[in-house]
Amino acid sequence: MDSSLKTSASGMMAQQRMIDVIANNLANVNTTAFKRSRVSFEDVLYETVQGARITNPQTAETVGPVQIGKGVRVGAVLRLDNAGAPETTQRPLDVSIEGDGFFQVQRPDGVTGYTRDGGFTMSDAGSLVTKDGHGLLPEITVPQDASAISISPNGVVTATVTGSSTPTEIGRIELARFLNPNGLIAVGQNEFLETQASGTAVTGFPEDEGLGQLLQGSLESSNVEIVQEMTDMIAAQRAYEINAKAIQTSDQMMQAAHDLIR
Amino acid sequence: MVMKGIIDTARSLAYWQRLQEVTSNNVANANTDGFKADRLAAHILPGGENPVPVQSTDLKAGALRDTGRPLDLALEGPGFFVVRTPRGERLMRGGSMRLDARGVLSDMNGNPVLGQQGPVLVSGSKIEVHADGTLVVDDAIAGRLRIETVDEPATLLKEGQGRFLPATPTKEVAEGQALVRQGAVEEANLDPLMSMVDLVTIQRAYASNIEAMRAMDSVLGSITTEVGRV
Repeated sequence: MDSSLKTSASGMMAQQRMIDVIANNLANVNTTAFKRSRVSFEDVLYETVQGARITNPQTAETVGPVQIGKGVRVGAVLRLDNAGAPETTQRPLDVSIEGDGFFQVQRPDGVTGYTRDGGFTMSDAGSLVTKDGHGLLPEITVPQDASAISISPNGVVTATVTGSSTPTEIGRIELARFLNPNGLIAVGQNEFLETQASGTAVTGFPEDEGLGQLLQGSLESSNVEIVQEMTDMIAAQRAYEINAKAIQTSDQMMQAAHDLIR
Repeated sequence: MVMKGIIDTARSLAYWQRLQEVTSNNVANANTDGFKADRLAAHILPGGENPVPVQSTDLKAGALRDTGRPLDLALEGPGFFVVRTPRGERLMRGGSMRLDARGVLSDMNGNPVLGQQGPVLVSGSKIEVHADGTLVVDDAIAGRLRIETVDEPATLLKEGQGRFLPATPTKEVAEGQALVRQGAVEEANLDPLMSMVDLVTIQRAYASNIEAMRAMDSVLGSITTEVGRV
């Protein structure tokens, strides 16, 4: 009886975890380039309380074993890497990637971060940085007197400098791609880090070797779909309730057995 | 005969308790992809005198839910995917696969999902899985997944983590019978309403057995204290 209480408790905790993930998805419904996650559960060990038995030795007829499962646990939280729709912003330093690839940025700890959030700004030194001040790699510095910055689909950044009528190239954006982007680890600030599972980054210019093209003046929207999250939330809530009911039942049974002793 | 009654009732209480454990595990896995609910019923087996609990796993397919994740694989129709674990080959209904560090298609616990030629190496960015289990990576065939079953699916033993241990040798499912669906998972085949009804039934049945036991206990009590008193 005690075991069924623990089993139901594992069920309630699992549904709680599902709600946690859904809440984070919903909180990021308007976060640039956010990738939604989904919890995947798995059943845990089974205890064989009664082995298979032969009921008819002549025909070797058998009855299967009685196995009692011990509940559920979170197997994985899976990120869905499909791209969100590009959203037009008209801001010259907003860049989205259409297709595969990540921007590379310099994190303060010296590690390279990877992001699909191309909402860049300019640092006081004129270089392109993310909202959090992480510099784009390779570094691109915009001259002080530059105007009309333009970013081509293949990554070439040009600017028109005062006194010149023709735009000059000031750098080229490079993208990184991974064998298994699902293996990247999310570290917040819309950034990901390389792991053993993701494989090492392969860098190149946009539009080259399977890398996507750049779209200036737009940002990739979050891939969270509210309706999907809502239905998942209902599923989690109902499962939570039914597990609570199972705990209640186990409790009442224990109470009844306990009351037998006078 | 009151003693026999008490023993029988105790056996019955143990059965309902067992059923409660099975039902608890079923509802705990209400949102577990690929989960197959267990059933328990009391049977008097041939040659036996008392009812014993007989368990069966309901292998009915669960509903398919689209996820859009390329490595989520589900099966439509009979059969199982084959995974290689350190303890031998096991069957599983599908679920959320991933690539390990070397790019081998594996289940969530890192066990390779086997193709006709063993583990399938995925090196590329575009993964397509066809209905017959053929894996196409960047327009080149990487392998074909084994989809197998056993003669008596009732003999499958659950191992947890969605895996089944086959008791007899496995054989390939006839072509075209089982279809692989990419970007979908199979939901648990649990009927929440029936589970709710089960919980109520268990509680009531347990309570009435307790009542029966109490009645017999009081009869026994009168015998030992009243009988023989002048």
